[in-house]
Amino acid sequence: MIALAQVVDSLFRNTLAPWQWAIMAVIPPAIIALYFLKLKRNPLEVPSTYLWKKSIEDLHVNSLWQRMRKNILLLLQLLLLALIAWALLRPGWQGTQLAGQRFIFVIDNSASMQATDVPGAENRLAVAKQQATALIDQMDSGMTGMIISFANTPRVIQEFTDNRRLLKDRVETIEPTFAQTKLKGALELADGLANPGRITVQQEGIEVDVVEAQEATLFIFSDGRFEDVKGFSLGNLKPVYVPIGTHSADNLAITSFATRRNEARPEEQQAFVQITNFTNQPHEVVVELSLNGQFLDARGVEVDAGQTTGLVYPLADTSTGTLRASLSYELANEQKQDALPLDDHAYAALNDANPGRVLFVSPGNPALHSALATQRSGRLASFELKEPGFLDTDRYQQLAQTGEYGLVIFDQCVPRKMPRANTLFIGRIPPDRSWQEAQMGETDETAENEPQPSVTGRHVSVPTIIDWNRAHPLMAHVELGNVVIIDSTVITPPAGGDILIDSTAGPLAAIAPRDQFQDAVLGFELVGRNEQEETTINTNWPRMHSFPTFWFNAIEYLAGASGTEGTESVPPGKPVELKATGNPAQLTIQTPAGKKQTIRHSTHDVFLFHDTRQLGIYKVSDGNQVTQQFAVNLFDRNESDIRVTPSQDSTAGKLAADIHIGNVDIAAMTGITTSRKELWRPILIAALIVLLVEWYVYNRRVHL
Amino acid sequence: MPKITDSKLLSPDLMAQLERLELVTRKIFRGRLKGERRSKRKGQSVEFADFRNYVAGDDLRTLDWNLYARLDKLIIKLFLEEEDLHFYTLIDASGSMDFGTPTKLTYAKQLAASLGFVGLIRADRVCIETLGQGPHQRGPTLRGRRSVWRMLEHLDTIQAGEITNLAEGVRNFASRNSGRGIVILVSDLMDKEGYEPALRFLASQQMDTFVIHVLSQEELEPDVTGDLKLLDCEDGDEAEITVSVPLLSRYQETLNAFVGGAQQFCSQRGMNYLLANNQTPVGELISTYLRQRGLVR
Repeated sequence: MIALAQVVDSLFRNTLAPWQWAIMAVIPPAIIALYFLKLKRNPLEVPSTYLWKKSIEDLHVNSLWQRMRKNILLLLQLLLLALIAWALLRPGWQGTQLAGQRFIFVIDNSASMQATDVPGAENRLAVAKQQATALIDQMDSGMTGMIISFANTPRVIQEFTDNRRLLKDRVETIEPTFAQTKLKGALELADGLANPGRITVQQEGIEVDVVEAQEATLFIFSDGRFEDVKGFSLGNLKPVYVPIGTHSADNLAITSFATRRNEARPEEQQAFVQITNFTNQPHEVVVELSLNGQFLDARGVEVDAGQTTGLVYPLADTSTGTLRASLSYELANEQKQDALPLDDHAYAALNDANPGRVLFVSPGNPALHSALATQRSGRLASFELKEPGFLDTDRYQQLAQTGEYGLVIFDQCVPRKMPRANTLFIGRIPPDRSWQEAQMGETDETAENEPQPSVTGRHVSVPTIIDWNRAHPLMAHVELGNVVIIDSTVITPPAGGDILIDSTAGPLAAIAPRDQFQDAVLGFELVGRNEQEETTINTNWPRMHSFPTFWFNAIEYLAGASGTEGTESVPPGKPVELKATGNPAQLTIQTPAGKKQTIRHSTHDVFLFHDTRQLGIYKVSDGNQVTQQFAVNLFDRNESDIRVTPSQDSTAGKLAADIHIGNVDIAAMTGITTSRKELWRPILIAALIVLLVEWYVYNRRVHL
Repeated sequence: MPKITDSKLLSPDLMAQLERLELVTRKIFRGRLKGERRSKRKGQSVEFADFRNYVAGDDLRTLDWNLYARLDKLIIKLFLEEEDLHFYTLIDASGSMDFGTPTKLTYAKQLAASLGFVGLIRADRVCIETLGQGPHQRGPTLRGRRSVWRMLEHLDTIQAGEITNLAEGVRNFASRNSGRGIVILVSDLMDKEGYEPALRFLASQQMDTFVIHVLSQEELEPDVTGDLKLLDCEDGDEAEITVSVPLLSRYQETLNAFVGGAQQFCSQRGMNYLLANNQTPVGELISTYLRQRGLVR
């Protein structure tokens, strides 16, 4: 009996009070009574009742059964009433009654939620919205709900309310973003909003919660393409993970797009496109490259399943502009394209070469000074000449750490800390750890000392230069045939470095990358000082033609003034630091959609631009002139790999893998969230049809 | 004096149509006055019939002098006599006739006027009476084209609502008019006692009898809905009905049986029967249906 009552309970929802039902119950007898009483018959005068009397004699229309059988109007009216009563019971099925009082709907609107692999909906976000709406529909009065959307940052769409209409309306306002998925922020936000009164007061050594923490059910609508959330305690939140999407979503993406210098020919720019295949089959793809909307080049390549391939495009003398790479291919599915089109395009900006700012720190080096003072060098960079004492000033610290310099040349001196710039050391080993360790390995046998802050390296006398790296841009057109060096340090570059000059005694010059910077080291001084503080000549190189050529190369290559320079791609939603020459008061930024925004500078002459939500090229202008551009691209493998991670647990037909929040594994909700299927709408429509039929029968005497 | 064409009963078009017609009877009756109708009797007309020997007393004017000259015998020529026709129209003016659009009575009057007009222009004797007239209340007997307007005037005086039954009205008519001729009964035959006694009585008369059964569209195809209390306009009888398809089909069956019975009754007794819907124009009824039945030609 109890089971039956539960079934009935799940099938129907009462909407009327008992007294209202009582009124409903009175109506059918009233209708029948009216039919039998026939309170009013319309009198009609006829020429003669002669024929009618004869007709009705046979029909016995007054008998009860005849009346019931023939009177379809009565039956229709009773049917109408029954339908209305049935609709009032709100019949339905599969209704999962929501348990609890407070619900937090956390809806993922990251880039991967724009995947169109879900049947019957525009994209995954639409499905998430539908399912959230379905759950909101199941909320009873007294239950409150809150909505949070999250991508890389969480956003409270609606705070706690019991207004279901408002909640549903607000769910619809969630827009897709291009950003990455970071669940933790949303969880923290939910935690903070769900338990606002978690204030503890110490009473006699015992902590007492002032406001009793209330449990809240946390529905996470996501495709699960995010890292495990670490360092978060769910507390009173009861998480429910609703996976959205399918395992079989096919997607190919451009996962990287950058411009860089040709290794062999440094004067030439190259565009580099990385394509990743997130499907289970190899695919032939064609990548088209266009510059400022003009077709530039197209190349085809086959990408194996799950693999990444790169394509390189030469960019001949292109200086500025916007590059766009478009991926095109055909999938075997119905749409012939992948489920996430937004990562099939990538953008890169080519900016004007800014004159580099070069700091030359030297106790005095006339040869070098004159080599740097050529007109041609002056066009490439502006020079500042400082004494080594400048390195200890705050001014230097500030300039060096804000990356104000393109290149810092340390002649016979060493900074305490490597600047955020390319460096060129003359006769000194950089204080960077990697350089130091590389020298240590070299000098281990000779100088058996423990690591020191500054390693001097192995000194050699009169090494003979035997070879130099002609392929390296620094050494382009540099001829070192007759150069004599009296005294030098053997330079061992750290891993990833290149030897520039090799001698009979060992490398004399090398270059190595450090983060995004390059550090070049010349092992020999050009001019030195002896114990009497007299200037000594260490090499005859300054007298050679190759000497200014080398320095010109150094400025061109290291001072960041080597023609066009590609800027780093910015992930969507991440703030961008913009530097402007001339210290303008404001910058205008045009988004890919064409909207213009003006930003004012914050501290340290840095402009911060936050609104990088759209993919594409952003143009920064100072006044009317576009000074620089930057590109916002997705380039996120987690977002582009839109296949929902299948569950390891093959039993129970689980759709997606668990997600991990803190130490808790949250199983994916098996099956989609079943919402209560309400029948009252179709029933009311049926009632309306019955009403129309009744009207028709009444007017047209259509009797069945 | 109102013109003939003023009457609603006879429109000029209808009259033009009727001018060409004449009343026909299968029986040749003896008329009282000389008319345009050939008679069994020999008489004076232009149409030669026969010769016979002269006997004393014959009109010398009919002697054929040419034969006398050739044969020296007195032989007289006989001519066909042309006579007039008695044409009676008997209208049912009971309350039940006052229904329909146009009312059945109007329709009956129009029919009577049209046929009377045909008779008048053919020099027949036309007499229009109603069932409600008593045994001694004669209607005017009209003759000649000039009497058309009088006929129409008389028709105008006929009003619905006469309380009579069919059989008695026919009996009164028979007692008033014992002669021969054509009689047309225009009625809806809605008599709760049945039309049979009346028609039987009419059949026993030595007349060429036509029964024109006038029914309104509302009676032939009733357009009623819902629950109704039907009131009989003549006797106030009530019938409660709930309109339904079975009831309507049953009504149609009853109506068909009623009409079919009347038709059969008439044909078995040598009477002509014609069902007339009040929606059928009178001109069409006469020129088509009555012509087929042989009343006019």
